[in-house]
Amino acid sequence: MTNHDLNDGSAVKHRHRHEGPQKHVIAFIFSIILTLIAFATVAAGGVNTAFTVLLLLVMAVLQVLVQLGYWMHLKDKGHMMPIVFMAGGFFVAGLAIIAALYWMWW
Amino acid sequence: MAHAHSVKRHKGLMDWLTTVDHKKIAILYLIAGGLFFGIGGIEALLIRVQLAKPMNDFVTAQQFNELITMHGTTMIFLGVMPVIFALMNAVVPLQIGARDVAFPFLNSLGFWTFLFGGLLLNLSWVMGGAPDAGWTSYTPLSSTTYSLTHGVDFYTIGLQIAGLGTLIGGINFLATIITMRAPGMSFMRMPMFTWTSFVTSAMILFAFPAVTVGLVLLSFDRILGANFFNVEAGGNPVLWQHIFWIFGHPEVYILILPAFGVISEVVSTFSRKRLFGYSSMVFATILIAFLGFMVWAHHMFTTGMGPVANALFSIATMLIAVPTGIKIFNWLFTMWGGQIRFTTANLFAAGFIPTFVMGGVTGVMLASAPADYQYHDTYFVVAHFHYVIVGGLVLGLFAGLHYWWPKMFGRVLNEGLGKVEFWTFIIGFHLTFFVQHFLGLIGMQRRVFTYLPNQGFDLMNLISTIGAFLMGVGVIIFLVNVAISFKQPKGVAGDVWEDGRTLEWAIPSPPPEYNFKQTPLVRGIDAFWKEKMAGNTEMTPAEPVGPIHMPSPTILPFVMSVGLFIAGLGFMFTSDDFGNSLLNFLFSNYIITGIGLAITFGSMLLRSLYDDHGWHIEPEEMNDKGVKA
Amino acid sequence: MTTPHAQQASGALPHEPEKATLEGRNKVLGFWLFLGGEAVLFGTLFATFLTLRNQVADGPSASELFSLPITAAATFILLISSLTSVFAIQAMHRGNRTSLARWLGITVVLGLAFLVLEIYEFTEYIVHDDYGMTTSAFSSAFYTLVGFHGAHVLFGILWISILIGQLFKKGLTVVTAPKVYVSAMYWHFIDVVWVFIFTVVYLLGKVVG
Repeated sequence: MTNHDLNDGSAVKHRHRHEGPQKHVIAFIFSIILTLIAFATVAAGGVNTAFTVLLLLVMAVLQVLVQLGYWMHLKDKGHMMPIVFMAGGFFVAGLAIIAALYWMWW
Repeated sequence: MAHAHSVKRHKGLMDWLTTVDHKKIAILYLIAGGLFFGIGGIEALLIRVQLAKPMNDFVTAQQFNELITMHGTTMIFLGVMPVIFALMNAVVPLQIGARDVAFPFLNSLGFWTFLFGGLLLNLSWVMGGAPDAGWTSYTPLSSTTYSLTHGVDFYTIGLQIAGLGTLIGGINFLATIITMRAPGMSFMRMPMFTWTSFVTSAMILFAFPAVTVGLVLLSFDRILGANFFNVEAGGNPVLWQHIFWIFGHPEVYILILPAFGVISEVVSTFSRKRLFGYSSMVFATILIAFLGFMVWAHHMFTTGMGPVANALFSIATMLIAVPTGIKIFNWLFTMWGGQIRFTTANLFAAGFIPTFVMGGVTGVMLASAPADYQYHDTYFVVAHFHYVIVGGLVLGLFAGLHYWWPKMFGRVLNEGLGKVEFWTFIIGFHLTFFVQHFLGLIGMQRRVFTYLPNQGFDLMNLISTIGAFLMGVGVIIFLVNVAISFKQPKGVAGDVWEDGRTLEWAIPSPPPEYNFKQTPLVRGIDAFWKEKMAGNTEMTPAEPVGPIHMPSPTILPFVMSVGLFIAGLGFMFTSDDFGNSLLNFLFSNYIITGIGLAITFGSMLLRSLYDDHGWHIEPEEMNDKGVKA
Repeated sequence: MTTPHAQQASGALPHEPEKATLEGRNKVLGFWLFLGGEAVLFGTLFATFLTLRNQVADGPSASELFSLPITAAATFILLISSLTSVFAIQAMHRGNRTSLARWLGITVVLGLAFLVLEIYEFTEYIVHDDYGMTTSAFSSAFYTLVGFHGAHVLFGILWISILIGQLFKKGLTVVTAPKVYVSAMYWHFIDVVWVFIFTVVYLLGKVVG
């Protein structure tokens, strides 16, 4: 059960007062940099293909973690169930992708 | 504040169309599920009549294909799923001490979308031919090259709409179980049926979107000329198999887990013992769900995935026998030394255990990839999955219906008739399907509309047909029993079995609209039994008596589902020539589809714009006089 | 159970109004569950796309077809819109309805810009290159995956626009706040999906296509 005590408002407020736009702007700049690296690598070309693929995937995963963790608050307390069910969704999605990549063509 | 909103209360048919009460939605699910179960059953009997003797011409090959396709599809998606949802709706909120589900509106929407999806699918019988590519609808058999009627379109569109309803229902039950539990009911104090409903709902959440995509791809191939499964343009039919079974295998665990929950409740109640190994039951349920997602390709051993994939999926499949075995032994140990009462419900539960084990054993046989090359597409497979789905799930559903019938309707089913029903059904079942193992092993193939005489198939097929009719008799006895039960006056005791362990038995039968006058305080596993053992006659309340907030009835879910129905029908016939320029214009420009979607999204908009403030039941309107233990 | 209007009557809006009522908390949780299902939906579409990525038949391949500048523009637009929806929620937590509505409005405009780019891209392919749904298995998978995402963007634009209207009509209350919060979650999820689309479809398409 989510124990949300309404009388606890002051404490909550205090915690959030420090959460200005700066943190999100930093996360945003981080995402922009990740995106730029990804696009620049592809636009420049000439880099080893396997390395590029790996790099692009890492950039994508990092950016998704920023979105989910910071902007969708999954890193905050009280998000156990959302994390479990998002992880479940990504897990099954991964199964489908593995099947499609490895067990489709022979 | 409480008197601020008066709400219009509907009567008669309008009451049923607009209800958001989980107990009434349970009854709707039961009626609709029963209807489709009956249709699927008649289809089964027609199949068995055709196969009763060699070279029979009772139906044509095309009709036979339509019958087997619709039998499988109807039974799985429209027959047993809604009956499971009926039990979940009727029982889960009561078991967790809640007044309602988390999303009453969505609950209603889930039912109506399921119903209209099912109706759309069955409309195919009178609109140019039913789907005929098997319930798995494998491509290229289901492509426009080989399936010329609109049958498969009814399948893809109908199942998408019905599947949407199931997905909505799953999300609703997950949220309900996570947030609506009464004070003191931790996860590890939840009754087993609630646990299995929770895990089943999670599996629905992760499995149904996959099949939705599969159905979208297939309908795009068929209606828009896409090439997902069209080899000529680079498509791959194996993609359909993967997507279908990534959904399809979890689906069979979606079906069986609630039955496991029912059996756990029934066996424990009628043994007058707490469930043996509760935590291992929970663990086994979760493990089965997890492994259930890892084994889909065992349906595809013969497609040629190669030895590595086959070995992996073979081992993963055999692993499922471990948690399932844990469950079987736990039920046996629950009965061991208990004061067992063989009520009809418990008879079905006791019949379930050995029958399901037989289905499990053939499952492990099929899991062995090399052997599967022999079993594949024979009646051995047909026997196997009917042992787990009928011998497992359907026996479990009958157990659950007999067990909770008094809670749902305030009337008990006749025990004598119930026992006749049990024996007729289970003898008929084994007659029908036991011989099919051997039919398969000696080479009779499934999905073939007839067979030549003197191959050793004749007698066993006749026995199978006789058994099928016996099962039909069993179901008719059940219906007679239901009819008789409605002649009784309403209102049996709340704890009608006298040994009720969980919260639903602490309130009247049938429960009042608000379920619990005061939210109960849960002090342990088997909450109501614990109170009874402490000498209390009712639950300790966790709150004072006060006005209870209720959601308003609404017609919008019904209208939204009608919209989807119209949109689906419109999309299906976009490239047909009706010989009428107006109709051609309306369909080929997606105008009908647009109207349907406008109805659905318009209703969504209305729902968003007009807040439902609900209404209140005042303490003086609550007239139940406590609960006798 | 706290009823929404009882809260409203008391006047003060709690700091996190989206979680002030059981209905609100249920809505947020239920939407997370829905997003878990959406992850499977898009995962299956990605699986379809990946397995058919080289099945171009007689049509052009990914690297011949795609133009990076348009994709880059679309990506940055959607990324910025994710930030503006974060600012919207922060405004909501400050209880500032006007600022909330403004940020939501900017989000909608950015969403529209993204959609215009996507429609432009699709029409280029269809009209210029005669490259449609029926060209090849690859084209079917491409249009279905990216089109599903585009349809989600369209739905989000309509949804958030309606919510802006409701904010002006009904105010920022414990009833409207969960709706706004959930729509912001949806918008972030759309961006999450787009991150994978620009990486897997467009960039990897250029690299290995």
